[in-house]
Amino acid sequence: MRHGYASFLLAHCLRRLNGERTLAAVYHLLSGKKSAQTLQDCKWFQLAPFFGTWKDVTMDRLEEAALVLVRKQRAAPVHDRTYILTEKGRHWLDEQAAWFPRYVNGWRYHEIEPLFWQRLSLIGQTLSNLSHGQRFIPICRDERTLLWVKQYLLDKRSRQTLARALYDELTRLLAAVSEEAATVFVLRLTSARRIGWTAEQIAAWLQKDVLYVQFQFRNVLHYMMAEAEAGRAPVMAELMAGLAPVQLTQSAQKTYEWLQKGKTIDEIAALRRLKKSTIEDHVVELAANVPDFSIAPFVAAERAAAIQAAARALGTRKLKRIREALGGIASYFEIRLVLAKEVGRWMN
Amino acid sequence: MDELTKTLHERFGHASFRPGQRDVIEDVLSGRDVLAMLPTGSGKSLCYQLPAYFLPGSVLIVSPLVSLMEDQVEQLRRRGEKRVVAFHSLLDAEEKWHALTSLPDFRFIYASPEMLQSETFLAALRRVRVSLFVVDEAHCISQWGYDFRPDFLKLGAVRHALGSPPCLALTATATPEVQEDIIRTLGMERARRHIYSVDRPNIALAVERCLSVEDKAARLAECAKRLRGPGIVYFSSRQWAEEMARRLAQNGAGRVAYYHAGMDGEQRLLVQQQFLYDELDIVCCTSAFGMGVDKGNVRFVLHFHMPAQLEAYVQEIGRAGRDGAPSLAVLFYADGDRAIAQAVAEAELPDSAALREWCRRLPEDAVRGGWRAAVDAGGFTDIQKRLLAYFLEWGQTAAPEQLTAAAKERLYERMAAAIEARRRWKRKKLREMEEWVHAFSCRRAAIVRAFGEELSDKPDACCDNCGLETDRFMTDGRRPEAAPVRPWREELWHMFFGGRRHDEAAK
Repeated sequence: MRHGYASFLLAHCLRRLNGERTLAAVYHLLSGKKSAQTLQDCKWFQLAPFFGTWKDVTMDRLEEAALVLVRKQRAAPVHDRTYILTEKGRHWLDEQAAWFPRYVNGWRYHEIEPLFWQRLSLIGQTLSNLSHGQRFIPICRDERTLLWVKQYLLDKRSRQTLARALYDELTRLLAAVSEEAATVFVLRLTSARRIGWTAEQIAAWLQKDVLYVQFQFRNVLHYMMAEAEAGRAPVMAELMAGLAPVQLTQSAQKTYEWLQKGKTIDEIAALRRLKKSTIEDHVVELAANVPDFSIAPFVAAERAAAIQAAARALGTRKLKRIREALGGIASYFEIRLVLAKEVGRWMN
Repeated sequence: MDELTKTLHERFGHASFRPGQRDVIEDVLSGRDVLAMLPTGSGKSLCYQLPAYFLPGSVLIVSPLVSLMEDQVEQLRRRGEKRVVAFHSLLDAEEKWHALTSLPDFRFIYASPEMLQSETFLAALRRVRVSLFVVDEAHCISQWGYDFRPDFLKLGAVRHALGSPPCLALTATATPEVQEDIIRTLGMERARRHIYSVDRPNIALAVERCLSVEDKAARLAECAKRLRGPGIVYFSSRQWAEEMARRLAQNGAGRVAYYHAGMDGEQRLLVQQQFLYDELDIVCCTSAFGMGVDKGNVRFVLHFHMPAQLEAYVQEIGRAGRDGAPSLAVLFYADGDRAIAQAVAEAELPDSAALREWCRRLPEDAVRGGWRAAVDAGGFTDIQKRLLAYFLEWGQTAAPEQLTAAAKERLYERMAAAIEARRRWKRKKLREMEEWVHAFSCRRAAIVRAFGEELSDKPDACCDNCGLETDRFMTDGRRPEAAPVRPWREELWHMFFGGRRHDEAAK
């Protein structure tokens, strides 16, 4: 398969969304937008594993993928930018089960995946070069990772023992995924003899779609992290030290710190020279992700209860309809906040 | 052996100085302000790295590019230097502030110009004994330099705030007017100038006139296949770089990859290192590639698109032949390339209608600190924003406290005039480049003349106008194919234990 993985991913999303969301929702989901709406969609349509797994996706790519599906009669448009899968499409999707990245868990790992990979690849490169007795230029430039890896290696009594343990663990973990996925993963690694290949170079060599290669790679990474969390991959677990799954965006983290110092939204906006709406987005993100985050300072208890009741009664997540049902007394911010808090309760 | 040579040997592993280095270093050590223009690949960084081991306190180095800074830091650390630190916006704030408290402990302090705008950072720097103030790629200071960075303009004030330590300005390409700008902006007094010729005798020069874009692409493909590598091909757009990388690879040019600023950091680093370790034959790239790529054996630099200035061209071809061995630079030209170069060059200039509209919408109190927000909200590109901020600062001095409609109109006119002047200057530079392309006389002499020098010696392999035969750079041998990839289990085993015997590793 040299093309078409985008269509496969989209088809999977379309099946779950069942015509209830536009391509924009797919876009926000794959790119990992932390809005209350997208976070809810994740849970509602069971698409959380794909959250934030294709960060540089564009609307153009999705529209192109949709066009391919329609042309091949695998999907049909229902409204503007909204599609459902046809019978043929469902059949096709089932046939491509082998493409499905079964271990991908974007919701849990999309934030920490880059740091985990940086650590793993830098340690691999370092151990490999030590074994070959060579000097080298680090394959990573992130100061945090460089410091972390340095300390990690200093703490180890024997690098040989670590190399052995890492080699054994990688071999065991990679044996559990497909031969192709294992090959992709190993080619991405940098050793003393070979600088790691980019996904694109691997795709050209395997004659596969770049996106497919990227998802194969991500699949392996997420599998490793899941095994680590399950206590079955001790070295990987060490590499995950201090990387908390599901993290806040850095900017939201800053806002959180200011809130804890007792600043109001307006004060934070002024302090950080950001728009008030941006700070509000952060607060929504906090409500969805921080279990003990109280929304009481931002929305009165009665109003929150009313919003909740309206959302339930209407059976909708559409902000506009909820707002109308409440006669416009609640702001969009308040509604998003209440819904986000609710989602947070399901998720965490 | 004297102290300098001894340190050169012990710290840097070189037996002798390259031309120019010693003179610059001796002037730096005597406390003079120095402007050094040394050709690319001549070891400019040694000119401050070596003195650092003789000077008390710290050396502060201002560098325009994060990647450049990282490369330098990395190189120093590889040589065993631990007292080195870099500050740029990409670093995590927490570590940054931690390092600030121990700032005087560092021998080398690298900083981006924007970091130097931070009051906290400056305050910390004032507690440091800065014994040398180094500005790398100093041509960025001048708006008449090909890579103007408005935030470099404030470096003069920064230097002053630090008690005017001796200053070393380094560049590879600065015309006489740019040199004047550097000296004035940095407030360098009685500066010693060490100007070495921009000429690189081991790089042969040629221009290929092509009939069309297609013709150009075909000839590039042919050339890339036959030229002895490794080599770099420059393009003016990301799309072209990607597209031609694919075409060259299909056409048997060996291992080809592309590089541009639109790729993520890891991808860029992988391609750069593959090239460095000779795992790639050709990199197709935009101007984003090259600064800080310290590779000696680059055998050719090709240009699929003409740069907008001769200085940029000289800088880019300067990445060939740093090892001193014969190398080739070919520029492919077809009608219509001038328009492309002009469009690229002028993309940084905001459209005058948009600018007028933006000026009209400025809030009345924008004079007091509101500029940045207004610039950010204007819908301009990053590079336009940088330029706009500069022109604003320049136009602002005359603006009254309250921005009345008339004041806004005046502000617009001043800015528009400044932008227009820049446009004229850019066109002049482009004309100079174009004339060079169309010249019938010696290209080497023309380059050297543009930098206010005279060519004294002509190498055998000079340029197409001096009868250069490019065949001597061609090879019959096919390029080696990529190393065969082993099954993943073997690959992994070799990664960890390949350096040792099998039985030993199995223990």
